[in-house]
Amino acid sequence: MSIDKRVQSGSRRRSGNAPSIRASGRLGAWRGVDLVTAAVLAVAFGVVFWAFDTFVYPAISLLTAGFPPVGELALGVWLVPAVLGAMVIRRPGAALFTEMVAANVELFLGNQWGPAVLLSGFLQGVGVEIVFAIFLWRRFGMPAAMLGGAFSAVLEIVGYEWWSYVAGYSWAWKFIYLASGVVSGALIAGLLGWLIVRSLSRTRALNAFPPGREFHERLLRQSE
Amino acid sequence: MTPTTGVRVDVDHLTWRPMGRATPILSDLTFTIEPGEHVLLVGGSGSGKSTLLRALAGVLTASESGDLGGTVTLTAATAAHPSVGLLLQDPADAVVAGTAYRDAAFGLENEAVPRDEMADAVREILMAVTFPYGLDRQVAELSGGEAQRLALAGVLVMRPGLVLLDEPTSMLDPVGACAVRTSLRRAVMATSATVIVVEHRLEPWIPLVDRVIVLARDGTLRADGPARSTLEQNADRLKNDGIWIPGLPAPAPLGVPRELCAPNRVLSAGDDAVTARRVGLTRTSVGLRNTGRPATADLVRDASVIVRGGEIVAVVGPSGSGKSTLASLVAGLEKPTSGDVTVTAALEVNGEGRPGWWQALALASRIGWVPQNAELTIIGRTVRDDAQLTTRLLHASTVGTATRVEELLGVLRLAPLSDSDPHLLSGGEMRRLALATAVAHGPSILVLDEPTVGQDRESWAAVVGVILAARDAGTAVLLTTHDPLLIDLADRIITLPQSGAAASLPRETPSPTRQRIIDSCGPLSLLGASFALLFGSFAITSVLHGVAGLAGWIVFFLLIASPKSVRWRRLVPGLLAVLSVGFSTWLLSRGQDPLTGAAAAARVAFFVIPGIYLAGAIDPSTLGDHLVQRLRLPSRPVVAATAALQQFENLANQWRQLQQSRRIRGLDGTRSPRARAREFTALTAALLVHALYKAGRMSVAMDARGFSAARAGNVPRTWAEPAPWRWNDSVLIGGALVVVAIPTILRF
Repeated sequence: MSIDKRVQSGSRRRSGNAPSIRASGRLGAWRGVDLVTAAVLAVAFGVVFWAFDTFVYPAISLLTAGFPPVGELALGVWLVPAVLGAMVIRRPGAALFTEMVAANVELFLGNQWGPAVLLSGFLQGVGVEIVFAIFLWRRFGMPAAMLGGAFSAVLEIVGYEWWSYVAGYSWAWKFIYLASGVVSGALIAGLLGWLIVRSLSRTRALNAFPPGREFHERLLRQSE
Repeated sequence: MTPTTGVRVDVDHLTWRPMGRATPILSDLTFTIEPGEHVLLVGGSGSGKSTLLRALAGVLTASESGDLGGTVTLTAATAAHPSVGLLLQDPADAVVAGTAYRDAAFGLENEAVPRDEMADAVREILMAVTFPYGLDRQVAELSGGEAQRLALAGVLVMRPGLVLLDEPTSMLDPVGACAVRTSLRRAVMATSATVIVVEHRLEPWIPLVDRVIVLARDGTLRADGPARSTLEQNADRLKNDGIWIPGLPAPAPLGVPRELCAPNRVLSAGDDAVTARRVGLTRTSVGLRNTGRPATADLVRDASVIVRGGEIVAVVGPSGSGKSTLASLVAGLEKPTSGDVTVTAALEVNGEGRPGWWQALALASRIGWVPQNAELTIIGRTVRDDAQLTTRLLHASTVGTATRVEELLGVLRLAPLSDSDPHLLSGGEMRRLALATAVAHGPSILVLDEPTVGQDRESWAAVVGVILAARDAGTAVLLTTHDPLLIDLADRIITLPQSGAAASLPRETPSPTRQRIIDSCGPLSLLGASFALLFGSFAITSVLHGVAGLAGWIVFFLLIASPKSVRWRRLVPGLLAVLSVGFSTWLLSRGQDPLTGAAAAARVAFFVIPGIYLAGAIDPSTLGDHLVQRLRLPSRPVVAATAALQQFENLANQWRQLQQSRRIRGLDGTRSPRARAREFTALTAALLVHALYKAGRMSVAMDARGFSAARAGNVPRTWAEPAPWRWNDSVLIGGALVVVAIPTILRF
């Protein structure tokens, strides 16, 4: 979480081909509202996960307890905070920070894997982080979001779950497990995460952030 | 501590237009306030009073973007740099920590005050604001008025030379509001600080201020001068702006045609529409606090009320007496845990007379509800959509009903806003929209939780007009209120005694069992031990290794902890996970060897079961201290995360209220998986919107207490509490490493 130390030069911005609006000021200079919003979003997701665990997941998990490769199709749900944090804040470290705070909430609420959830949260956050870093925090459209969700799932599964939860599986099943996680990451975390940000930007709630500005600029263009 | 010196405020051609608005909120404002002056800032709703305070506090751009012009200059009489304190409307937005001491010390931490000076400073300031409890009082157990006094202490502890008060009493009941004003008079008005206060109800503030500045609706300066004479000279125009000027008689309720508010199922006059007999509601709180058993709270106890068709019953009583809870029980939002709520035979659904048990559509058609937090009922994308939603669900054809919605919006002065996003409305407008949505589809019972809060004179008259018209048309109306003018209009009044949630929260009793080593372990050793086990588990390749390792853990566990401290229910998900891993590994491994499955189960059990136990021993509120002071993680993200964790319970409550308001508006009718998925997505989106607004208000409050300024200076932030590493921590880590060594040694 060396958020304060990573400094990116903001001068490389090109005016002609800039697909997404970037965060204001230096990329690494988090405003107070960036930090608080990322953290509160993560806690809100903690509430959503808690509700999911209480009202929805028991049904799914009973169905899939005997066959985790199918259960892995729900993996994307836990990756949403990382994608959302990155897409809203648009600063280096946003995905990791949001996912780590959400993982902490799960830890304190009680969960099935114990503190291993922090390791998962770290890998998932870093996965999204790497994808947005490759795009130099310039692209925050649907493709980037889906790639982020997918790669987050790859890092989580190849970096941890393959050696821990499913270490005894045959290689064929390990890859099926990976594939279902990646699909879930791309669709639930990526596509759904992108849709959520888009619908949030229609309210006033994201006005302090780049997606809110993008929405208002779209409105302006439409009215012209 | 340096004595406070008043700050001089120079505002020069200040203009502010937030993004997405065509016209500025603040328009070319110029004025000067001398050091030590006490100023009351007055204006109709939407005139930019709160915005101006944020501009003076230098946090205008903390949570919003827009075009800012002109200058604000603050100068202190002495050379010291001028400091500003900002107190916001809702104390819940200012909470950053779990205990009173920690919360009040937040600004001192940001200003890098040495730790040993903090306790005295905080104690002194808590006394000055007449905070009734000690330093260790849990913030979650405070009433609204107490929480606001704590928030005031958190502002004043930084000795600001300019104190900005943004409707500091508008969320409080009369008793709490009076206590806060007394605290302000003692702790702020008596010092030499400059004070600017924004309030809707002016009378109680007139004696406390020297000067009044009036803002017009277009964000320009309308009047400025000595308090009483300025108000008197401008009385007519202020009245037209809807401002509650002291001394004027109550506005006459607007005449609203009865048909607009008539119920679909007309009750015979004098019929007991709904009866609550000795109802109570006890709830277990969903908290992140690990220690101790989950707290249960009696939100209301043994309350009884009868509402007849064609009458208004007002439920009054101090905050925390359970008025809102009683209202939500009568509205069928929740099932009472004791006593019962029943409706008259004419309203029963297939013989079921208890609203809490009805399907959503049946509930919506019979009962209308306006919640205290009106923003939580917003579902539609535009004001009109939102107002029509339930009508559309109940009647396939909207012919005829559409005009009723339009007329109601007109009466409630929302017609010009029909096509805008409901989230963009002001607090008072949102509440009127909630009233329109509650009345539009003609329910026979109306339950209104504080319907007149935040209304100016004109809109107050409209709201009351609608309520009276509904009553005259035969609707049974139950309302909770602190508004004396509204109480005067009620047909009957029920007073709930102070017995409330805040008072009856169970105090944590110290456990009689003797302290074991693990009880005083810090969060880092608990996490460190779990991670040692996690990484050690990779060495486990056979059942024997796993069983030997677990046996080693159990021996160590019995040495450092008491078996009584294990909460078995928490372990259940972990045990299921272990079984799932074992079974699926057997199924999907090469050759389907049962031993492979058992080894996998043992490997996962080795770190999951102890890990869940160790995680349960961590106190979330201390983790941040340790992460920064011991692990040297950057302080601002950790501080933000710690503050956000305090909001978990609040957000969990909002989730429940969002669910309830969808139900009483007729959604959530079916049990199909698709409907459930849609419901879940809608709730998630709604919760995120609230979380984002909350985060914006929190960052204003935190930045006003130096959260972001802490970055600018080179002095590192200080911490109100230390993060000690005790011998217990070393024992835990050492023991965990020994346990980890068992399977590793067996393997090689």
